[in-house]
Amino acid sequence: MSKPSMSSRERVARTLAHQQPDRVPIFDKFWFQTEKSFREQLGHPLVERETRFDWDTAPCAQAQTIWELFDMDMVEVAWPDYRLRFTPPEILEETDEWVLQRDGNEAVLRWWKHKMGVPEHVKFGIDSPEQWARVKPLMTASRERVRWDEFWPLYRRAREADRYVCYATVEPIEMIKDVLGHEIMLRAMIKQPEWIHDIFDTYITVAVQMLELVEAEGMVCDGAFVYGDIAYNTGPFMSPRHYREFVQPYHKRLMDEFHRRNMPVLLHSDGDIRLLLDDLMASGVDFINPLEVKAGMDVRELAPKYKERLGYCGNIDARILETNDLDRIREEIRSKLAAAMPYNGYIYHSDHSVLPGTTLETYQAVLEEVKTAGRYD
Amino acid sequence: MSTLEDVRQAVLVGDEQVMADLVNGLLKEGTPADRILSEGLLAGMTEVGRRFREYEYFIPEVLVAAGAMKEAMQVLRPHLTSAGVKPFATAAIATVKGDLHDIGKNLVATMLEGAGFEVVDLGVDVSPEQLVAACQSRPVDLVALSALLTTTMPAMVDAVQVLKRELHPAPRIIVGGAPVTQEFADRIGADGYGRDAATGAEVARRLCTK
Repeated sequence: MSKPSMSSRERVARTLAHQQPDRVPIFDKFWFQTEKSFREQLGHPLVERETRFDWDTAPCAQAQTIWELFDMDMVEVAWPDYRLRFTPPEILEETDEWVLQRDGNEAVLRWWKHKMGVPEHVKFGIDSPEQWARVKPLMTASRERVRWDEFWPLYRRAREADRYVCYATVEPIEMIKDVLGHEIMLRAMIKQPEWIHDIFDTYITVAVQMLELVEAEGMVCDGAFVYGDIAYNTGPFMSPRHYREFVQPYHKRLMDEFHRRNMPVLLHSDGDIRLLLDDLMASGVDFINPLEVKAGMDVRELAPKYKERLGYCGNIDARILETNDLDRIREEIRSKLAAAMPYNGYIYHSDHSVLPGTTLETYQAVLEEVKTAGRYD
Repeated sequence: MSTLEDVRQAVLVGDEQVMADLVNGLLKEGTPADRILSEGLLAGMTEVGRRFREYEYFIPEVLVAAGAMKEAMQVLRPHLTSAGVKPFATAAIATVKGDLHDIGKNLVATMLEGAGFEVVDLGVDVSPEQLVAACQSRPVDLVALSALLTTTMPAMVDAVQVLKRELHPAPRIIVGGAPVTQEFADRIGADGYGRDAATGAEVARRLCTK
């Protein structure tokens, strides 16, 4: 058995190019409670910052990210913040459990204070073309959209360790749902198409300018991790026709910018995106993440179908990891690696985030299993 | 002269602009309000549900159809009330305790209304005790429960147990949401499961017809 001989950066770069690496690269995400527990057990407890939320402790601000603690192959930097205003949220109501606040996008959301989760969408202040016209001038590129103090140290450590560095950003659906909410945005695709095009165009213009700005500062990345939920459990939010009309032109503009810089694109979307895969590939998506099992995504079905046209980062069922049943877990990992590895385009990742019931011992066994079963000999 | 088919078509394409005129026209011509509801609006929403289940329609089409139905109901509701027309059944809907997510719940509420239910929206983060109190304060035929997170599924178990223990007869209970499966619904003793909003409404209708 040959020893892995590639740096993380080379391993991921080869995988994203569908060239054979020494082994399957490793990357993952964790629910906050999981990360907190793992960190404590590893002797690197989270250093918390002052915030209304005890789960909002900026993992990237830590002396070492959890990716580094597990010696993973990738890290993410940049994460431009696309809020309209960088003012502190206005607290409208608060209990011991939750806080109702109006944020920098003029959205009124109810958040848990002590646990992560999707907030209740109470009201969106930007709900018409007139309201949008009022705030549109605020959407400009600026240095303050990046937390440089968190990402520069991480970027430098990643370069020293020769890890693969991804420019992380959100895509237009994800940007705009924070401003309009899903219902107003999706309804407007039929009722007010010109408005939606104007918003998407404005945000994607700023997204491209932010990439240029980050690059000009010297934070040059290897690939792009683009986040945007465009689907839910049973299918895409919108039809393929609406995707092509409203989203694809803007996805393509952003992804073309990455490709022009030789940066492969990984797209994160929850849910069942199978109906959109051909269109996403036409937009410039190279890899998909996280392939939620509960939404019907299965790399064993997709890899033989799309071969080297598409790559995968995920699909290891977090619910199976949480059983802590190592036989089941090994079977889950082996069957999926066996299906994906022949096409040289697979990165280990859970099918969303590692759940809190997963023990550290189990997770360490998972990583060892990937390193063993994921070796290309 | 407008027809019931015009109303059904206006629902299908989500044309809320024409709804008031169509419904007023039919009422003036003597079409009973309950026929406008059942053969125009609900027939349209039933077709919307079918198209949604079969991936011909997606969320935008459902939202505009629901908007058109809402416009029509503004005109029609007083006539239904004065004619003594009752809703098919009453459904209380909620996101379970510990979960603030409301998009899926709202979509199911829309589809339930489109299936002829009167919908009582109890909101998010609703405890079993609040569910029981809501069912005791008015007749409720069906409770629809939503959970987005794996971590809030136990709250769904509690809700089903408490509703069945405290209410006699207990309302029918359907469950749904991203982590919920038919197997889970069966295991916790729910009466039905909806893999999507349209299927949920269809299952609810079937349960309340029995």
